[in-house]
Amino acid sequence: MTEQGTTHVIEVTINGRLYSRTVEARQLLVHFLRDTLDLTGTHIGCDTGSCGACSIILNGKLVKSCMMLAPQADGAVIETVEGLANDGELNPLQESFSRNHGLQCGYCTPGMLMAGTYLLRENPNPTEEEIRRGIKGNICRCTGYVNIVRSIMDVAGGHGAEQADGIVGEEQR
Amino acid sequence: MLLKSVNYVRPESVTEALDILSSNEGAAPLAGGQSLTNVLKHRVASVDLLVDISALGELRTITRAGDGSLEVGACVTYDEIDHSPDVRAGHAILARESSHIEDQQIRNRGTIGGNCCLSDPTNNLPPLLVALDATMNIRAVGGTRHVAAEDFFKGYFLTALEPGELLVSITIPPIPVGGGAGYVSLSVATDSKTIVRAAARVRVDGVIEEVRVVLARVASVPIRHHAMEEALRGVAPTAELVRAAAELIGSDVEPIADGHGSSDYRRKMARVVARRAVLAAIEEGGRK
Ligand SMILES: Cc1cc2nc3c(=O)[nH]c(=O)nc-3n(C[C@H](O)[C@H](O)[C@H](O)COP(=O)(O)OP(=O)(O)OC[C@H]3O[C@@H](n4cnc5c(N)ncnc54)[C@H](O)[C@@H]3O)c2cc1C
Ligand code: FES
Ligand code: FES
Repeated sequence: MTEQGTTHVIEVTINGRLYSRTVEARQLLVHFLRDTLDLTGTHIGCDTGSCGACSIILNGKLVKSCMMLAPQADGAVIETVEGLANDGELNPLQESFSRNHGLQCGYCTPGMLMAGTYLLRENPNPTEEEIRRGIKGNICRCTGYVNIVRSIMDVAGGHGAEQADGIVGEEQR
Repeated sequence: MLLKSVNYVRPESVTEALDILSSNEGAAPLAGGQSLTNVLKHRVASVDLLVDISALGELRTITRAGDGSLEVGACVTYDEIDHSPDVRAGHAILARESSHIEDQQIRNRGTIGGNCCLSDPTNNLPPLLVALDATMNIRAVGGTRHVAAEDFFKGYFLTALEPGELLVSITIPPIPVGGGAGYVSLSVATDSKTIVRAAARVRVDGVIEEVRVVLARVASVPIRHHAMEEALRGVAPTAELVRAAAELIGSDVEPIADGHGSSDYRRKMARVVARRAVLAAIEEGGRK
């Protein structure tokens, strides 16, 4: 049992590194990441669970880190946007967002990348509709989503690239 | 957002959770947290102690009994329900509806128990569970009791749960031979806030033998429409007769009005979704 208290010592593995910190029970996980650990790649858009900017992968599941308390993450393995690039080299999904103009201001991008990462793990060859459903919890105020969908489709296996071209055709019509 | 200072505890068993809940007046169970976290942010309820039940193995199982009934633990998430072969085999409609709750992130955390215990009239699962004649299995320090889903939802954010009680699981009877279920929502956008919805379960054997029709968003809790059910019992399962029965939804329901629709609009749309839900249930029954 985790003892009752307003503060707790938690151990969390984030992007392969173990952190041990004392947290207040009332601290939101997103604030733990951003303020306590200075991992500011994870953004806060709405703070009500509606925008997805704070999305991370926790124990293999895509979650919104503004909808959890820090002590709930005790013992968890977390992936954030900072873990995607390898030694400064963008990973294929990040590269695809850059190539396909899948971002403008970039505010939603950390959450979109984590949603895209999760989606492609669960379903390596998604249709356009599956991608749109997969990023339904993530709001983008800039791109109109077309280029984000294309960015994810472009790295998806199999006929992903052809479908990505299909989207271009759709837009031109 | 900065929450009010709060205590947190993660018990190791349901028994331990019940002991803590019963001995701390300001304690509340924390399940998926996909509503409670926002409640705490907005400080609309005062909670002194959060009892995190989300990881309790006892609340996280899905079992199908020999008679085909399904028991789902209170802390099973929507995503787990959606992917459960046991749910998909006998109660596909529960898997399908769970897969349409808001978005992937919320489906990965939100639980069937939390969805019911919140008793938010916009939540997806309560009307379906009433239509499927589910039983809510409730535990307290003193023992276990069972409440029909129909009697569990008492009002806006109000259920039959007493302080110190936990919803531990939900039992859903098998859908009988010749039976089917339907669920139709009129929503603002895909998988989002709903204007009005209807859930139905039928059993057809030449004529409609059994029928339950449940409307949601026309009252503070899901309600059965007894007049429509009465009109359908014993009649042939035809589109015309179902349409005629749905027309009985009238001034007996007084839906709320809000930015998404007036009371009258909701009443008219209730007839449409109720008709479609019953027809979908009949069709599913005919396919089996
Ligand atoms: C942006 C957003 C959109 C949403 N859209 C939808 C939607 O379209 N449809 C929908 O259905 N839901 C929606 N939800 C709500 C979501 O489904 C929640 O998961 C659900 O309302 C509560 O379930 P939970 O497991 O997260 O419970 P929690 O938030 O942890 O708890 C909710 C309440 O129930 C109590 N409780 C929880 N479990 C138990 C138990 N086993 N016994 C006794 N009491 C218990 C808690 O104390 C609390 O009061 C949305 C949420 C967000 C943030
Ligand atoms: S900041 Fe978490 S969902 Fe918007
Ligand atoms: S790129 Fe600006 S919000 Fe998405």
